[in-house]
Amino acid sequence: MTDGDYDYLIKLLALGDSGVGKTTFLYRYTDNKFNPKFITTVGIDFREKRVVYNSGGANGSPGKAFKVHLQLWDTAGQERFRSLTTAFFRDAMGFLLMFDLTSQQSFLNVRNWMSQIQANAYCENPDIVLIGNKADLSDQREVNERQAKDLADKYGIPYFETSAATGQNVDKSVDTLLDLIMKRMEQCVDKSQVSDTANGGSSGKLDSAKPEERKCAC
Amino acid sequence: MTYELNLNYLKELERETVLQVLYSDQMMRKVDEERIRKLKMQLQQLRWKGAKSVNHEYQEKSCARCQKRLGLVMNRGAVCTGCSHRICSKCRVSLNPYRWKCTVCYANGNIKVKTGEWFFEERAKKFPAEGRHETVGAKLLKSYQKLSKISVVPPTPPPFTEITGGTSTVELNHSKSFNRSVENLFLSFTTHMKKISKSQNDMTSDKSLLTTDYGQNMDPRKERRSQSDTAISIASQIKNTPSLQKLITGAQGGKKLVTKRTSKQKEIPSSPTSDIVFSGGMKHGSLCSIDSTCSETGNFDNVNVTGEIEFAIRYIFKACTLEICIKACKNLAYGEEKKKKCNPYVKTYLLPDKSPQSKQKTTVKKNTVDPAFHETLKYKIEYSQLETRLLQISVWHSGTLKRRVFLGEVVIPLVSWNFEDNSTQSFNWYQLKAKPEKSDGNAVQYSGELTVCAKLILPSPYNTFQYEEKRREGTEDQVNSDGQLHLVVLGAKNLPMIRADGMLNSFVKGCLCLPGQREVKQKSPLLKKQACPQWKHLFVFKGVIPAQLQHSCLDLTIWDQASFGSNDRFLGGARLGTKEPPSPLESDPQSRLQWQRVLSNPNIWVNITLTLHPNTGALKF
Repeated sequence: MTDGDYDYLIKLLALGDSGVGKTTFLYRYTDNKFNPKFITTVGIDFREKRVVYNSGGANGSPGKAFKVHLQLWDTAGQERFRSLTTAFFRDAMGFLLMFDLTSQQSFLNVRNWMSQIQANAYCENPDIVLIGNKADLSDQREVNERQAKDLADKYGIPYFETSAATGQNVDKSVDTLLDLIMKRMEQCVDKSQVSDTANGGSSGKLDSAKPEERKCAC
Repeated sequence: MTYELNLNYLKELERETVLQVLYSDQMMRKVDEERIRKLKMQLQQLRWKGAKSVNHEYQEKSCARCQKRLGLVMNRGAVCTGCSHRICSKCRVSLNPYRWKCTVCYANGNIKVKTGEWFFEERAKKFPAEGRHETVGAKLLKSYQKLSKISVVPPTPPPFTEITGGTSTVELNHSKSFNRSVENLFLSFTTHMKKISKSQNDMTSDKSLLTTDYGQNMDPRKERRSQSDTAISIASQIKNTPSLQKLITGAQGGKKLVTKRTSKQKEIPSSPTSDIVFSGGMKHGSLCSIDSTCSETGNFDNVNVTGEIEFAIRYIFKACTLEICIKACKNLAYGEEKKKKCNPYVKTYLLPDKSPQSKQKTTVKKNTVDPAFHETLKYKIEYSQLETRLLQISVWHSGTLKRRVFLGEVVIPLVSWNFEDNSTQSFNWYQLKAKPEKSDGNAVQYSGELTVCAKLILPSPYNTFQYEEKRREGTEDQVNSDGQLHLVVLGAKNLPMIRADGMLNSFVKGCLCLPGQREVKQKSPLLKKQACPQWKHLFVFKGVIPAQLQHSCLDLTIWDQASFGSNDRFLGGARLGTKEPPSPLESDPQSRLQWQRVLSNPNIWVNITLTLHPNTGALKF
């Protein structure tokens, strides 16, 4: 089914109220198809996708391309599965927090989902994107963009209005989340490098001077 | 999670669906584990390439990575900020115009990202108490398998079998050179580093413990000996604890068997300090093993064997002790022929167990070929165990610089020994013999013993009584026309010691291989920090057909859960089956017989002691 020929395994998790379109969203993302039928997710599920990630070089250099294997966890929005689904939060590296643009209630519940993430995720401030789904149903819209954007800003997370039906912003929102995670990963390693070198910080400067010395000697 | 998460509250169908998801997740994880293993291997190879050994100190100016000599003026190298090694200009990776790292440090950071270790590190900060690498999915599956009566696991993808089977030896070899090199103490991630340093502490503290013991006890060997004795005896004692009874209540035959065993158990005088001694004994044991490897792995000379040895063997039934009274030897060959020197001592093993616990030694007598020992070597061992053992009594010369010379041996199969007869208990002279040619190569390889007890439950007309009783007790949901195979994994002993403290975090996997390549797998819970684990775990294989079982085999493998990383370590395994195994090394007629007894006598518990083999071979798990 899957082979190990990839550089990174990134685990994402979609969450939000029941019926906001998590499953259809992920289906659109992985298979680029739309299934208008509502089939409630039993507990948990996941989909996979292999993507190529281009890391932008820090100093303008063309970045490297990495093969990324995405595991996208789909969770049941129903309350009765809550203890099961939230347990899976701890294994996710990033979250697709979704609500339904045609349901004010699902938007109001975003706060609850946020606190669920904070409680169960691997760290206090994991990478999250806020997604308002069903943007194609403009006539039924109950949540306006301003409202949602403000909330996302309050949490300091990106916000996208997507449509699994049309595919609008679906790829973009996942890519943004992936980008955030990749950046965090690098930072994590950099941080430990800094702490590694903390006691030898001055020698770093010395070292860079040495090649010049060598030149002189030649 | 502080609460116990499980799938019990789900409806049957829902549980099935979720399990299916968890299984596919497991598949994906296995692929990923294989990928991670390869990555780590690559990093390790990179390290070895340039590993500076302890002997080559840093005075010798060379690049820590490529070992190229560094000049005093030209190409003098620079110190890497990551590892503080001096690195030549070629072995650097520049991060930006002002910063660089050596190839290994760079790879180190790289691997941390690629393996996802960064994530586990971060998470461990928030949830320090929880399993570092274990995913919720894995945990759920595990707990479910524990609860479920039967679990059919989808066939494992090929890369996984490759991990556990083929590479274990590779890693072992690696770990050897790992110790040799200081460089490798930097190995991978900080957690790992902590672990290494911790285990070193353990080692040193062990040593100090040992030396203080030496101070208190004038005869250190004796002390060591008695402690390893208790290690054996306790292992056999734990075997029959009452909780086992609870586990298999409802089985008439089993009940009788157990009560019989426990009543026998009471006869064993338990020493009040046994627990303390036990743990101490294990620690010493691990140190002993270092000794024994020197003397056992061919690091000795041979002479033309002459002479005889006088000893007596008896079994003290009350104390469950085998006593070997070594009286004397005569006409021994000189250990050092030229110097006419001989410092003999006698060593015994209860083969096939070649572990330190099985080793006993007399004192060394100086400058004599007719030594008188008058020493009694003791083994605490159950009488029933004796018939599986060979008593090996060998005479050795202890030369200078720990040089050992083999002077001859006597091997006695205890199965044919009549311990009840007084005449066999008197002293006798035995001719010393040379080691049989290449005997070690053909001998059954041994990495401990596993005791199980098994029963085939068949709904036959003769046993309706039992079934009615069972139904009343509610232990059985329904009686199928097919049978059930019950197997209680009792415990194991003399398992290989892979950690400095001799403790293991072990679990048992059972894989019932049915005809048509159908495999039914079960796993016992993990037992932490035990040298002689007693799982007492019941495997139930439902829906088995006796005719099928004749052509099936049950593979039992014991594993040590990896403290970090992904691959559990294989400790030993054995196969229960009626057929002759493909490799003669795995042949164990005793257990085959017992297995046949299980199959042909349904509804009766049969105790089986399995000799564990150190190689996975054809075993499924």
